[in-house]
Amino acid sequence: MSNRYVYGIVETGEPVEFDTEAVGGAETVYTISHRRYSAVVSDIEETEPEETDEDAQRHDEVLREIMTYGDGRTIIPMQFGMVFDNDRALKNVLRGAQPAFRRTLRDIEGKVELGLKVVREEDADVDEEALEEAVDDRLEAIAEGSVDNGLFSDRLVLNRSYLVDREDREAFDEAVADLEDSHDGLLFQYTGPFAPYSFVDIHIGAQ
Amino acid sequence: MFILDDLLFRPFVGIIDALHTIALDELYDVRALEDELKENQLLYELGERDRAEYERRKEELEAELEIAREAHEQLSSGRVEVKT
Repeated sequence: MSNRYVYGIVETGEPVEFDTEAVGGAETVYTISHRRYSAVVSDIEETEPEETDEDAQRHDEVLREIMTYGDGRTIIPMQFGMVFDNDRALKNVLRGAQPAFRRTLRDIEGKVELGLKVVREEDADVDEEALEEAVDDRLEAIAEGSVDNGLFSDRLVLNRSYLVDREDREAFDEAVADLEDSHDGLLFQYTGPFAPYSFVDIHIGAQ
Repeated sequence: MFILDDLLFRPFVGIIDALHTIALDELYDVRALEDELKENQLLYELGERDRAEYERRKEELEAELEIAREAHEQLSSGRVEVKT
């Protein structure tokens, strides 16, 4: 039997359907709708897929494809691993979580997530406070929001995700490049755009 | 008498539980292992760790993490005793 693997939620409009390398070996991504909201899904055999590097990457890739689908769609990203074993349950969620979807979509409409990790080169002496100040000055001014993702390594000096309006993307890129140019001894790992995972707080029980 | 026993016994159980938890947290530090996994990934992405080393370390850490998580699960169901 085939189940539905959910990538995220979009507002119902033009149906989404395209061929791609999807999670669990599926080849097509499409939408299942209930009135105002649609889940972007692919078919999957398992109900609890293992999060391999490959599938985690496919999950991200599909979200990115949806963000550029047509004129660009805003999607509420779901974390890896949400599977429904029947469409009725999925539609129930689409109906039941409408207020949460509406609020979240309003917050992330037209925005992307960008990640910035600043890593000290081995043995480099870094004025962390000055760096943080410089980063705040340049980036917080452009971004709509940011979250701290924690310093999980001694080498990390800064680890944040930013919510950035698509229109401000270029200005943000330039600000990051300037910061990098003016800081020796530091490596800047700048990633994205991603679907705004870090700015979405919706957890849905799939069963 | 029974009531007194009960009252005396409870804090004692609490302390033992706490000691178990501390010992297990040190032995099986899930958070530290998760951090190491993320660091491994970061160093690989930055090109400071080659693919073979990255994969070897990842496998090792994931195995340790699985054991650590199991230990914590068993602790919360009361089936683990820590001997010191």
